[in-house]
Amino acid sequence: MGGHWREKGGVRSTAYCPPPLEKRAPGPPPSSPESTSAPDSVALRGGVLPEVTEDVTGPAGGGQRRMFSLLGATTLMLVAGAPWTLPAAAGGTNLKSPENVEVHIIDDTFTLRWDGSDPAGGNVTFSADYQVPRNDTWLKLPGCQSVTSTKCNFSSLKLNVYEKVKLRVRAERGNETSPWHNVDAFAPFEKAQIGPPKVHLEAEDKAIKINISPPGAKGGVMWALDSSSFTYSLEIWKNSSSAEIKTKTVYPRDKIYKLSPETTYCLKVKARLLPRKIGAYSPVYCIKTTVENKLPPPENVRIDAVNDIYVLKWDYASENMTFQAQWLHAYFKKIPGNNSGKWKQMPGCENVKTTQCAIPQNTFQKGIYLIRVQASDGNTTSVWSKEKRFDAQLQKSVLVPPTINMKPTNEVSLRVFIGAPEESENKSVNQHYSLIYEVVFWENTSNAERKTLEKRTDFTFPNLKPLTVYCVKARALTENERWNKSSVFSDPVCEKTIPGSTSKTWLIAGICAALLSIPVVTYVLKLFLRCVRYVFFPSSKPPSTIDEYFSEPPLRNLLLFTSEEQTERCFIIENTNIITTVEETEQIGEDHKKYNSQTSQDSGNYSNEDDSNDSKSGEDFPQQEAE
Amino acid sequence: MFSLGRKKKKMNTKPDVIQKCLWPACLVGLFIPGALSLHCNLLHLHLREVTWQNLRLLNSMSNSFPVECLRESRAFELPQDIQSHTPPGKRYLKEAFYEMSTQAFNIFRESTTKSTWKKKNLKQIQIRLDWQMHHLEKCFEEEEKGKEDSKQREEDGMDFSGAMVSQVSSLELRRYFYRMYNFLKDKKYSPCAWEIIRVELRRCFYYFYKLTLLLRKK
Repeated sequence: MGGHWREKGGVRSTAYCPPPLEKRAPGPPPSSPESTSAPDSVALRGGVLPEVTEDVTGPAGGGQRRMFSLLGATTLMLVAGAPWTLPAAAGGTNLKSPENVEVHIIDDTFTLRWDGSDPAGGNVTFSADYQVPRNDTWLKLPGCQSVTSTKCNFSSLKLNVYEKVKLRVRAERGNETSPWHNVDAFAPFEKAQIGPPKVHLEAEDKAIKINISPPGAKGGVMWALDSSSFTYSLEIWKNSSSAEIKTKTVYPRDKIYKLSPETTYCLKVKARLLPRKIGAYSPVYCIKTTVENKLPPPENVRIDAVNDIYVLKWDYASENMTFQAQWLHAYFKKIPGNNSGKWKQMPGCENVKTTQCAIPQNTFQKGIYLIRVQASDGNTTSVWSKEKRFDAQLQKSVLVPPTINMKPTNEVSLRVFIGAPEESENKSVNQHYSLIYEVVFWENTSNAERKTLEKRTDFTFPNLKPLTVYCVKARALTENERWNKSSVFSDPVCEKTIPGSTSKTWLIAGICAALLSIPVVTYVLKLFLRCVRYVFFPSSKPPSTIDEYFSEPPLRNLLLFTSEEQTERCFIIENTNIITTVEETEQIGEDHKKYNSQTSQDSGNYSNEDDSNDSKSGEDFPQQEAE
Repeated sequence: MFSLGRKKKKMNTKPDVIQKCLWPACLVGLFIPGALSLHCNLLHLHLREVTWQNLRLLNSMSNSFPVECLRESRAFELPQDIQSHTPPGKRYLKEAFYEMSTQAFNIFRESTTKSTWKKKNLKQIQIRLDWQMHHLEKCFEEEEKGKEDSKQREEDGMDFSGAMVSQVSSLELRRYFYRMYNFLKDKKYSPCAWEIIRVELRRCFYYFYKLTLLLRKK
């Protein structure tokens, strides 16, 4: 039964109202699916008190107060009665969901374990579901449906072990089910533990051959990407009391050396997935080493690079033996399985009588190799020697000489640049080490050499003599003395220093002067251009009105008007000014009269020479003057 | 004053940088002989060099991508944010490198006869990947031996959260390689499938090549 009822304050809530105690019907409460609490707390969930009565829409005021008191009483009863309701098996109980649910994954075996809900019994079964990302539906977990025990095996489920998966479990009895117990999402690979590897042993006189198979089944999913990634850690001890345990890291196919013949050794192996996963130990295997062989294997195998060849050396006690050597790419050791067919004969080392052989260097390209040597006296052969790991890159003991570049600088000094050698093949060797350079510096004519150790690749020799030739050569050394490698000296590079400071200062002065004179020259040019422009290309034409002539004596137009001689006319016209004034003072003198006649003549002349325009202006003039 | 000779053509500044970075460390190393761990020391340089070589080898392993294989191409979603997942410190980047090396090695192991690749290049790549794995393993061993001091054990406790985060990135890398692995299986290791994987591995190696810069900085 459910109901809605209103609290004061306008808060509205939904409550599940269990029926009265006598007639409690079984059924799951409408709780959220994620709930993990026991069913008997449903009634008190959310702090909502259930209302037993049907009086849902209680009237305001006193009615509500009565309701509250009823509520309180009911709650007390329920709380008191809760312990009685659980064992009421007759009517069925609310099942508890499983607790302490754990997922155990070892190799390809997936198990789910939990604690059963309650002892009271009945046929409680459990079921589980799973959910993968991108899919919101819960699917039935195979092997975990209606199981009676508290664990189940769902290895048959084909999952992507690197993707997170969710699980949930619940208890069931008949039609009754408990709430789901959810397991946090996990990626199976993360939870997986590495199982014990399988070990196969073969005894020699002073060594034991081991052959380890990776953990997990052959077509297993969990370690599908890791079959050659496992590293194996082995513990071995003599099968006697108080034996010390030795721990070693071994390859899948490997040998344990330095053992005593005819002794029983026991060992156990565990697999590791670096960096973090460590597996379980295999069971202990014991084996007895054989009788000592007549022919021991060669020992102390070593290889060195000398000039153009590799020299392989070993030690052997007896004389008159023939030896052969074999090599293998080191990475084959990481691949489980039988690689014995992959060993190749070492050229130049087949059936040699001495305890060393020479191998041309181009046999081995850059890489890591394993080398083993075997002795033979014609009838029998010894076992193979310990495999020597050989790095064809680092064994090249020679660093390459650097390239040098030298440039003269302005302060009568020489700047030196040290660079990597040009060949790309050998460049990488130098780059592996932190290098310092031994630099030798001398004057070409003298023999006095200056030796310095430089870390920098760009440095200067200061305070040298001008116009002298100096030479420099350098070689590379490893900084770390442990490696102690050096190159040969590079070819000497010679350079001449610049002439000297006196001529240099003159040069600078000259340049400065030149620089300074540029604005001066431009300024002078500008003035000159302005003159030219004014003279030859005036910005405005001389005005044709006489006004202009009147205003100012245009000195600048003097040159232009020489041919026309009109300026004289201008002057004359000016004179009419005087004339007018003279007219006023006519009685003063005859000169003025003369001027008059002259003007009239001139004006006539003026009009004769020019066009009507001028005559016009001549006519215009007196009018203007009047004004 | 102007100086001549500023334009050196192709100066290799790597030794310079190396020297600047390692000078104090090496100085200490000269006085304390056991201080320098041989494998961890220049590992980032070696990884950088080796990854670059692998990239070049992958490039030259086949003539050109056959056009008919284009329609089978698929996005494998290389996890581009490894550096954001891994907590600071070289350790987790090294772990990512180790994961990549082992997985790439596995993939190349599968390519026996069905791919049309030049065998010589394939061998060289396997050699380099094996070299990477070997050196990283040795470096981890050295670090573990160093951690036997109690001081390191404390850091180990604090490192737990870092370890959890690095597992996330490790899982993402694995998912990526698992996609490639499944793709090859589905296509039954056809030459086209191998070509597509080759292109994808180039992308992967290039991304890790850029990560080597982080190794150096951190």
